[in-house]
Amino acid sequence: MDLRWSGARARRKAALLVSLLIVLSGCTTPPEHAGGVTLVLKHAKILGPVDPIPRLLSEFEAEHPGVRVKAEALPWTSDEQRQFLVINLEGGRPGFDVMMLDCIWVPEFARAGWLLDLSPFLSGGELVGHFPSAVEAGTWDGRIWAMPWFMNVGLLYYRVDLLARHGFRPPATRAEMLEQIRVIRAAERNSRLEGYLWQGKQYEGLVVNVLEGLWAAGTSLLDERGHIFPDASRSAGVLRSLRMLVESGASPPWVTAADEESTRRPFGNGEAIFLRSWPYAADLFERDGSPVKGKVGLAPLPREDPARAAPGSTGGAHLAVTRPTRHPVEAVALARFLAGPRAQRAMTASGATKPTIMSLYHDSELIRASPSLPRIHDLTLAGRSRPVTPYYVMISTTIQPELSAALVGVKTPSRSIADSRSRLDFFLRDLRE
Amino acid sequence: MRISRRSLSGLLLLAPALVALGTLTLYPTVWVFWLSLHRRVPTFDVNRFEGLGNYMFLASDPRFWKAAQVTALFTILSVALEVVGGVLAALALRGQQWGARIALSFLLMAWALPSVVTAKLFEWLYHPTVGLVNFLLGGVSLNWLGDPRLALPGLILADAWRTMPFVALLCYARLIAIPTEIYEAAQLDGAGGLATLTRITLPLLRRILLIAVLFRTLDAIRSFDLMFVLTGGGPAGTTETLTVYAYRSLFQAMQLGLGSAVGVVVFALVMLVAWGYLRALRSEGVVA
Repeated sequence: MDLRWSGARARRKAALLVSLLIVLSGCTTPPEHAGGVTLVLKHAKILGPVDPIPRLLSEFEAEHPGVRVKAEALPWTSDEQRQFLVINLEGGRPGFDVMMLDCIWVPEFARAGWLLDLSPFLSGGELVGHFPSAVEAGTWDGRIWAMPWFMNVGLLYYRVDLLARHGFRPPATRAEMLEQIRVIRAAERNSRLEGYLWQGKQYEGLVVNVLEGLWAAGTSLLDERGHIFPDASRSAGVLRSLRMLVESGASPPWVTAADEESTRRPFGNGEAIFLRSWPYAADLFERDGSPVKGKVGLAPLPREDPARAAPGSTGGAHLAVTRPTRHPVEAVALARFLAGPRAQRAMTASGATKPTIMSLYHDSELIRASPSLPRIHDLTLAGRSRPVTPYYVMISTTIQPELSAALVGVKTPSRSIADSRSRLDFFLRDLRE
Repeated sequence: MRISRRSLSGLLLLAPALVALGTLTLYPTVWVFWLSLHRRVPTFDVNRFEGLGNYMFLASDPRFWKAAQVTALFTILSVALEVVGGVLAALALRGQQWGARIALSFLLMAWALPSVVTAKLFEWLYHPTVGLVNFLLGGVSLNWLGDPRLALPGLILADAWRTMPFVALLCYARLIAIPTEIYEAAQLDGAGGLATLTRITLPLLRRILLIAVLFRTLDAIRSFDLMFVLTGGGPAGTTETLTVYAYRSLFQAMQLGLGSAVGVVVFALVMLVAWGYLRALRSEGVVA
């Protein structure tokens, strides 16, 4: 055997060694920092003037000596966040301990065995002060899988000045709203002024708008026995009336491609009378320089039947702990801290989110910065959560093209309801216990 | 067979690259094919071998066929537009005394923009009331992205705008390499502008165009980001391509088997197209 390590051969061997080292070095895990615990928190960037998270994390670290928290950003859009989480959690070694979840994912991720059951860690009445619908969204199979972190609810924005000028009060019913649109647009003679803006693009937002329509009509997407569109004819009626909004001109044709931001902007520029959106828009309308500053009111969604409430859909985010975490105690402590009153107060004060803890909506200091808080509290309390089931996202993505087809008139409403049902039968076959 | 020391060390040196290629491409491809033969829904502990069950479902699935049709239309029309636009732009650039450099940088900018940014840009351009497109069309109020008849054409135009520069640059590079003697000879023979274009310029562009079309077709078959950002596949699924359908099945409906089956179909399509073009290129003598 030739042992001479010289010249070209030695260089070749060295190159080989180096490349082997490079390949192998990718396989090691980074060491824990000496003697302590490092938690990784995955969350979406909190929008707003100041990011409150870094300060909250240093407070947590000060209270828990030996624990360090590394915050890592999730991708920008909800779809990409979901993709990231699914890939990493399904892989079995996610590389993070605490994560932010859209509330509609909680039962599904819990069913998949990706989340740590938080129930044994929580004291009896710990979640009592949170909105019941937020707690419900984090609960599945009688256990608590995620802590409510921040809250959303569907509501109606209206132009106080325009309604007052024509002697109207905020509309209680859909029919009243349509009448107000007709009168105001005829009198204002402003061709740029639209009536009612809402979200009709083929995405989750469309499903939310349809759900609110179903609830207002006294039916639902999913009944207790798991039937999809249990009342097919009434559901078709809801789709028909959404289509009518566009056909009658009460809503502009482009709502069929609109999401939250593309409806929030024109309303914020003073180009619409009504808007269905979430609370985040309220503070943007009241910013300095906003054309509608001081002219926007918040109301419940208009009713279909004067005798039946039309709840807005609740939404928001939860904090969950990954089941394979190596530090369950510390990770749960972090989730509880971030979902607790002090952290939620700081998040609300930063102007980014609305809390899930009800008492914060009556905090005088917070109200000074955000006067609509008490109103949003009442609307949220009256809100309703989307079906809390592990199948929800599967159902939603499956019906999105069908709902969109009915909305743009490619399919009749009853056809699109029937097609949604038959498609879901294939997906849900033998999934249900 | 005896492997010489020399070729052994050569193989060893190649090993890292082979391992990387194997793990990064071969392994996932095989894995996706394997997945596509299963009914696998991780959230519900469903994991069962189903043979060709997913493919049978796709064969009778209207959403799949719709997506296949959208993908085909999008690919054919956007590539055709890009080739015509690209050749015209290249010809126009060649005729420029001044400004060719500026025009080239503008072209490159469109090509270099991340497609999500392009998508957002077109969201504004196509806006029904304040968008530039409707304004330039004389103040019409076309509902570009919300009308099932206009959404796909809108996306095709956006894609053509974004990738036409790629074809233009390739053609331009070829054009300036054509010796001027050929044109001088043609002029002496009395060839007019049209004859020069069809008998000299276009035939000389043929090979580079084949390569450009190969790249563009493969990209277009797999196109995802424009529709995902602009329309989410809507309205009514009229812009849902096969890749968007695969994505929705995989990461939203969590039907890993079905989504993988769609992925395999896209893969097969891409391979088929690539094979066809490579044959054409080989007969042109462009590749060995």
